[in-house]
Amino acid sequence: MTIVLDSLRYLAYILIFPGFLFCFLTGMLLCGIDRKLVARMQKRIGPPVLQPFYDFFKLLGKETIVPAAANRVVFLAAPLVGLAAQVVLQLFIPVFSFSAFRGVADVIVVLYLLLIPALSVILGAASSGSPYAGVGLSREMVTILAVELPLVLVLLAVAKTVGNAMGTGLCFSLSQIAEYQAANGSLITRLSMLPAVAAMLLIIPGETGNHPFDAAEAETEICEGMLAEYSGAPLAVYKLSHAVKLLTMTSLFVALFLGGIGGAVEHLLVGLAPAIAGGLAIVIEIIILFLLCIVLVALCCSLVHAVTARLRIEQLFKYYWTVVAGLALISVVLAWYGL
Amino acid sequence: MTHYPILAIMAYFLGAFLIVIFGRNRAVRNTLGFLGTAVPLCLLIMLAKPILANGEIIAYWMGNRVPAGGYAIGIALEVDAFGLFFGLLIATAVFVAMIYSFSYMSHDDNEPQYYTLFLMLCGGVMGLVLSGDLFNMFIMVEILTFAAVALTAFRNTVFGALEAAFKYLVVGCIGSTCILAGTIMLYAQAHTLNFAQLAAFLPGNLNIATIIAYALLFIGFCTKAFLVPFHPLAADAHGAAPAPVSVLISGVLTKSGLYGIIRLTYILFRTMNLGTVQFWLVFLGSVSMFLCVTMALAQHDFKRLLAFHSISQIGYVLTAAGLATALGVSSGLYHAMNHTLFKGLLFLCAGAVLHETGTTDLDRLGGLSKKMPVTTVLFLVGAFSISGIPPFNGFASKWLIYQATYQKAVESGNIGFMLVTVCCLVTSTLTLASFVKVTQSVFFGQLPKEYEHVKEVPFGMRLGMGILAALCILTGIFPGFVQNWLTGPAARAVFQANGYIDAMMGAGYADKFGLADTLPVSFTSVGVWSPISWLCLLAIMLLAVAIVAITSKYDAVSKAAKQTDPLTLEALESATAAYLPTAPANPAPRYATGHAASGKYELFFGGEESVFSQVGGDDLFWGFKHNWRHYFKFMHELHSGIVNDYSLWAVVALALAMLYAMIIL
Amino acid sequence: MFKNLITESMSKSPWLFHINAGSCNGCDIELVAVLTPRYDAERLGFKLTGTPRHADVVVVTGPVTKQVLPRVLRAISQVPEPRVIVTMGSCPQSGNVFRGSYSVAGPLSKYVDVDVDIAGCAPKPEAIIDGLALAMKILSEKRAAMNGKVEAKAAPAEEPKEVQAEPAAEAVEEAAPADPPVEEVAAAQEGGEQ
Repeated sequence: MTIVLDSLRYLAYILIFPGFLFCFLTGMLLCGIDRKLVARMQKRIGPPVLQPFYDFFKLLGKETIVPAAANRVVFLAAPLVGLAAQVVLQLFIPVFSFSAFRGVADVIVVLYLLLIPALSVILGAASSGSPYAGVGLSREMVTILAVELPLVLVLLAVAKTVGNAMGTGLCFSLSQIAEYQAANGSLITRLSMLPAVAAMLLIIPGETGNHPFDAAEAETEICEGMLAEYSGAPLAVYKLSHAVKLLTMTSLFVALFLGGIGGAVEHLLVGLAPAIAGGLAIVIEIIILFLLCIVLVALCCSLVHAVTARLRIEQLFKYYWTVVAGLALISVVLAWYGL
Repeated sequence: MTHYPILAIMAYFLGAFLIVIFGRNRAVRNTLGFLGTAVPLCLLIMLAKPILANGEIIAYWMGNRVPAGGYAIGIALEVDAFGLFFGLLIATAVFVAMIYSFSYMSHDDNEPQYYTLFLMLCGGVMGLVLSGDLFNMFIMVEILTFAAVALTAFRNTVFGALEAAFKYLVVGCIGSTCILAGTIMLYAQAHTLNFAQLAAFLPGNLNIATIIAYALLFIGFCTKAFLVPFHPLAADAHGAAPAPVSVLISGVLTKSGLYGIIRLTYILFRTMNLGTVQFWLVFLGSVSMFLCVTMALAQHDFKRLLAFHSISQIGYVLTAAGLATALGVSSGLYHAMNHTLFKGLLFLCAGAVLHETGTTDLDRLGGLSKKMPVTTVLFLVGAFSISGIPPFNGFASKWLIYQATYQKAVESGNIGFMLVTVCCLVTSTLTLASFVKVTQSVFFGQLPKEYEHVKEVPFGMRLGMGILAALCILTGIFPGFVQNWLTGPAARAVFQANGYIDAMMGAGYADKFGLADTLPVSFTSVGVWSPISWLCLLAIMLLAVAIVAITSKYDAVSKAAKQTDPLTLEALESATAAYLPTAPANPAPRYATGHAASGKYELFFGGEESVFSQVGGDDLFWGFKHNWRHYFKFMHELHSGIVNDYSLWAVVALALAMLYAMIIL
Repeated sequence: MFKNLITESMSKSPWLFHINAGSCNGCDIELVAVLTPRYDAERLGFKLTGTPRHADVVVVTGPVTKQVLPRVLRAISQVPEPRVIVTMGSCPQSGNVFRGSYSVAGPLSKYVDVDVDIAGCAPKPEAIIDGLALAMKILSEKRAAMNGKVEAKAAPAEEPKEVQAEPAAEAVEEAAPADPPVEEVAAAQEGGEQ
């Protein structure tokens, strides 16, 4: 009986929260809010917040064209694998103190799991045979290279800080990082973490391919780059993947630096009966997470989008390996000496 | 059971000699080759239970000349878990390479000679890792070096093959000479060549002669592992050699060098508890790792690219082994094993491409995935493995290496080791980048006209690649099994030099020298990674997504519209042709592409007709290379391709190693 | 329900692909102007795409020169169904001042079924938005027709008729093949330039 209940619970985790349905709804909403905010910042009215949903369903209703030069199987399967990997990745990122699957993947694994959706886009693009896609994937790969170094440094800095405090020297487990913050306050309040926070804020648009780091999908110069040959449902799946990635990156930020809020929430509900408090805490935490994600999107996607112009790919690379990686490195050194 | 090791070595050599005599007939030759590689594999697998699981050590004295009076006189074989681990790797790799060779080499002349040399090389490496005697080791090094040189130049009609073999010969001989000189010096000091006795004698007797011997042996084994600064040889050799030989050189021969280095530093000299020696190994490993991956990014030949990656991965192993922690050594050995598997697979894929198209030039290939689907899938398995994409095996071992280096950094309080972690992670991403380049340039993109008649490779070759791919996936999904039963015991054996000495020279021998093992037993890693759970989740998710996709008619619309699209090419043609005042003389080829009836299914070229346009090859990652252009220019000028330069590098490296060893020891 | 959702969405997120078929750039600039803060067509869900594979609405400007004709047709053919073809400005409808030139192969309706004509030289932004809004509606209808019977369009396409149109760029209502329906947009454009 418990097995049935457990498997039902896990299935609910996978399909509803924090899995597929949650990712679908919140990711798309984040995307829509991003577009709306950019429009408002440019003194436009902007599309409705639900616009990504319309786009998604419209694309489902369009014809799917597979170019004659493409490898049909890879071309059609790549978006699905990418989406699945992206949503599975979301399962491992704790929502404050709640983590659906602990003991499956740690920070370093998450770093690599982030590569899988990107890789699936790259493979899909490569299989289409289009030269625009070829240029796009080349740029995408360079973007990945660029973002990887600062991201690694940020994660190591966090691992070291939490490890220092816990006495083990280093801590790679995301759920432990979340628990530590719930008990001891958010990492963002530490002096040594501030450069890492700044670096991570700059990593988010790079990792999600947002403006001005979207050289890989430059629609005005290389015809949407990697997606040049995609149409219809596979394109819709890619758009969804991108939306979920936005959610993943922002909630990763929250998990790494803002985990203390979860502790505060539990503190608030301490007087209630445990069963109610647990349920209520989760609901409140989800709402807070979503609000924080919106703030982050507004800060590092919409604002940056509205005020900057696209970087060339080699500028992008240089920027990440000097400025952003430098920030992260400062944080690592500070964390190393226990500040 | 004690006879199994010598039988395993003998089987290779016996196979080699029999093929010389009876090898004219193909069936006889193939049978002998198969038996010659399958028998040792079986023998070693039978040894796995007692040695790996129960921790026994086999000491075998040839002619039963056991030590007398505390001195080893006879020739000895000694198999501990560490040696057997490498032996198993080697036996597996050569077995697969042999299966692959049957189809791959069937068009070459001089096949008997090929198999003879092949088996000689295998026997040499196997003898090296199972030997319990330094001079025997040198003999085996000579055998394998000359066999490898001859095999490199086996297709001597290939451009550069003789040159590559010559370079390899010259620098390889420098390495072998170093090993011989080191052996002589140790013999002069210790009056013995037996490993166990040396291991007992040397740690307490580090004088100037033994230290120089140490440096000589170290550099000698570096040559065999092609570590920096010997990396250009590997590229040349791999570029010219047939694919199965590349598997031997990369998966087997470099392992013998690694084996030598680890045996030397951990067991013979027991210097690994010194921070300076750790620094030496980790530094050399990290430099090899990073330098060679950037060199690989600049290559435009499939096999040369793989060759540089090979050294880069060896750099990972050396880095991990140089940490001198239990987790470090076991993760290093794990990666050594994975390297043999995925690099073997990748070289075989490169061989498959060469077999069908006749070239490995990344600038000329493209779009082979439609013609060679099986090879493409197998290549992707290898590429994902080497790039460390979960859940393939490269990820499991690299992940452990990151943790080992970071743990070491925390334990020792040295921030330098943390930079090594970062270096490992970045190298891994660069590896991914260069394999994306290969994927795009060779298997995806557009198919050049000249390769339209390419076929899938024969079954024998697919079988060889398939075995390796399956092993890549299995060792990736069950990291716990590998750690508990393969790399764990091997790593433990590395730290148990006293057990090694006692097994050989009788119990209590090591104690006479007052040696104590410093055994770090902790294999625990702080991270969590459970590939099976992840795979289950991914499977469920994929199923869910696929169901939604199918119900929403993922590509059904395409089929319906295909029949009814009014804008077919013919319609376009007639519409345009009728209107144009001067109708073209032969209107048919105007839009003809030979692919589709409608412009709809062509690639988008801004409305132009589809033309052949393959983005790929050397310059794919311009954005990256532009920022590193000074570095690449420097490297380009440094690698002159002149053997004199490379010999000079070898001598300089030797001098530096001696100097460093004298300072630190 | 799912199909209704799709049909509904179809009219809310039209993505544009813009083809310049020999235009003088006047209309091109106007089209971009429509996306600027003052008119902001993005509030209706419009978005300019870089590739015809993503497009729903193809906007053609210019008189369709002989040089560009095959390219225009090729690009249009690469747009996935359902698609709407919009001509913008008088040139692709009638040839405008370029009519009769040795190098002009237009009007576009000779070669493809044009769904919406936005007249004017260049059309006012209000007219463009009006025409695009019409295009959205047609898009939705086309999708609804696809739901019902995919084979509906299997009937051979009607021969495109040559239409004698006045050379002047009045707010011309191009007569075009009856099926599929052509909607006309009478732009508030004074045709005095020529």
